[in-house]
Amino acid sequence: MKIFRSIRWRLQIWYGLILVIVLAGFGITAYQLERGRLFGRIDDELHRRVGILANALRRPPPRGPNAGEPAFDHPPPGQFPDDGPPGQNSRPPLEFHLPAQDAHFFDASDPNGFYFIINGRDGNQIACSTNVPGLLDVFARFSENQSSPPIDGRANSGTNQPNPPTVRTLVNFREFVQTLPSGEQILVGCSITLELKELHLAALKLMGVGGIILLVGLVGGWWLVSRAIRPISSISATAVKISAGDLSQRINIAEAESELGQLAAVLNSTFARLEAAFAQQQQFTSDAAHELRTPVSVMLTQAQTVLNRERTAPEYRETVEACQRAAQRMRKLIESLLALARLDAGQEPMKRLDFDLSKTTGDCVELIRPLADERGVKILCDLPPLECVGDSERLAQVITNLLTNAIQYNKPGGEVRIAAQSQDGMAVLAVSDNGAGIPAEDLPRVFERFYRADKSRSTGGNGLGLAISKAVVEAHGGTIEVTSGENAGTIFTVRLPLA
Amino acid sequence: MRILIVEDEPDLLRSIAQAMREEGYAVDTAPDGEDGFYKAENYDYDAIILDVMLPKMDGWEILKRLRKIKKTPVLMLTARDQSRDRVKGLDTGADDYVVKPFDLSELFARLRALIRRSANKTTNVIEIGDVNIDTALRTVLLAENPVELTAREYALVEFLALHRGEVVTRTQLYEHLFDENESSLSNLLDVHVSNVRKKLGAEFIVTRRGHGYCIE
Repeated sequence: MKIFRSIRWRLQIWYGLILVIVLAGFGITAYQLERGRLFGRIDDELHRRVGILANALRRPPPRGPNAGEPAFDHPPPGQFPDDGPPGQNSRPPLEFHLPAQDAHFFDASDPNGFYFIINGRDGNQIACSTNVPGLLDVFARFSENQSSPPIDGRANSGTNQPNPPTVRTLVNFREFVQTLPSGEQILVGCSITLELKELHLAALKLMGVGGIILLVGLVGGWWLVSRAIRPISSISATAVKISAGDLSQRINIAEAESELGQLAAVLNSTFARLEAAFAQQQQFTSDAAHELRTPVSVMLTQAQTVLNRERTAPEYRETVEACQRAAQRMRKLIESLLALARLDAGQEPMKRLDFDLSKTTGDCVELIRPLADERGVKILCDLPPLECVGDSERLAQVITNLLTNAIQYNKPGGEVRIAAQSQDGMAVLAVSDNGAGIPAEDLPRVFERFYRADKSRSTGGNGLGLAISKAVVEAHGGTIEVTSGENAGTIFTVRLPLA
Repeated sequence: MRILIVEDEPDLLRSIAQAMREEGYAVDTAPDGEDGFYKAENYDYDAIILDVMLPKMDGWEILKRLRKIKKTPVLMLTARDQSRDRVKGLDTGADDYVVKPFDLSELFARLRALIRRSANKTTNVIEIGDVNIDTALRTVLLAENPVELTAREYALVEFLALHRGEVVTRTQLYEHLFDENESSLSNLLDVHVSNVRKKLGAEFIVTRRGHGYCIE
């Protein structure tokens, strides 16, 4: 069910359950305490009255019972046949006489007043109050005690201790049954209707208060949970927008200190990196497309112009040559893009062979010398043998690229110095020129793809050479750096691991 | 119609210029921003085709400076097709925008539209008496019969027709019909005018002595 998957609902349900258990615990305890208090009071009263009644039982004096006690009908003792055990027959039955000053304890006119029944040890009723509730058979009142007969051996065995009273609740009467050491049983009871009502009312109150507390608690819990998961909603809303393509969205972090605030901050930085990577990718694609647009335009306009009418052979030749130049440019760009893509994907692991960096560099210098001569640029070499490990072919591309840049961005009659040396366990190759230098604002970006300090395409190249060089050197575990000053020339420094 | 093309890719510049000339335009070219701005500043071109990325001075800068002094229609040529670039171009004062790679026919059509708009015309067809000039098809009809005109003659008719009712000086005509490379002989214009009169009627072009020519 959906509701059980919602954190809010699950928290709410657990919270509600715990609240119910705690409230029930409190309620039941309070109810029991109240009940104990009420019944304890009644029991005290009953106990007191048992004592009074026990005192009212006496050995019969020679004369008859006091005639001044009309409120209680008790049969004259002599009326009952003496059917007790023979051992007890020797003792005369007790007489009951309630002193006048104690009569108010048993007010027969009060339906909720106390009543009593006194049975002799032979089970015969000695005395009984008029307000004994009639709904139960008198003998049933003792039924519980019949299993332990009124006179048992222990009670009678001389300790003279009264048996512990039996307390019981019959429907809405509370009764106290005490067996005297002499064998008589005294039952004192009273209606507990009022107390039960009171208890009932207390229970209702407790339930009412509990219900209100539960309601307030649930509402408060809902509010708390809502507050707690509000950042989650905000996070998910932002994530939805981002997944819909708007990468510029960020989670609004109101409480940066909380756990969710920290999570949101982490997510935000992830989103920022994603956006940057995405923007970079987009820029790269757009730059690549841009680089392709110009040669395609050349080919299109050349072809469309020449096809407009009949042309002479030299005209066709010129057009085809222009198209070839454009196609070559596209080929170079595509090769560079592929090289970068492979380097990015790590598909082409670099060979790890020992080679002499100086020899490789020397070969590159010889290859590039015609270009240098054409530009009137001198190349000065300082190349002691340096054993390196790596892919000499790929590194030769890097060196050629650096040399080409140094020559192309140099002034006529300028110099290019190339020096190799061993430093801190690395082979260091420095290519420096004394050309115009790279403006300081462009310096950090020269290794970026398609970045050119010269915004026009006047020097040729596609803006990928240094990016590829950097990728190749880094794939060897090396570094490439650039320093430059306005009109002070540029130095590219490549560091590679020695063999 | 005289056009300036500012483009740093030599093959592209050459082929656009050739195609424009074959369309009957007088074409000047500039390979970089400084040269381009110098020419745009000093001649009254009917339109300028301007690349955005140029050495020395980029297209935006040329446009910005040019707009302070002239209203020459400018068509920007760029490899960037992001809308913010287009917005920037149009906001800076470019009249139109063509993204590389383009079709020559589209470039021509946009150029014609630019020139037409700058002459406050809304259609390609100009009617003068029973002469009907279609600037898109570059044809002239006289009483619904096609008239054969050379490219230069057509350019003369079109220029005068676009400035109908105005007196166009000989200097203006030289400036708009011949490009910088033609050593214009002073009587070449008279030859073209006389040829057009032969083909479209002597009254078609009126000579205002000491001023120039006019189509009324």
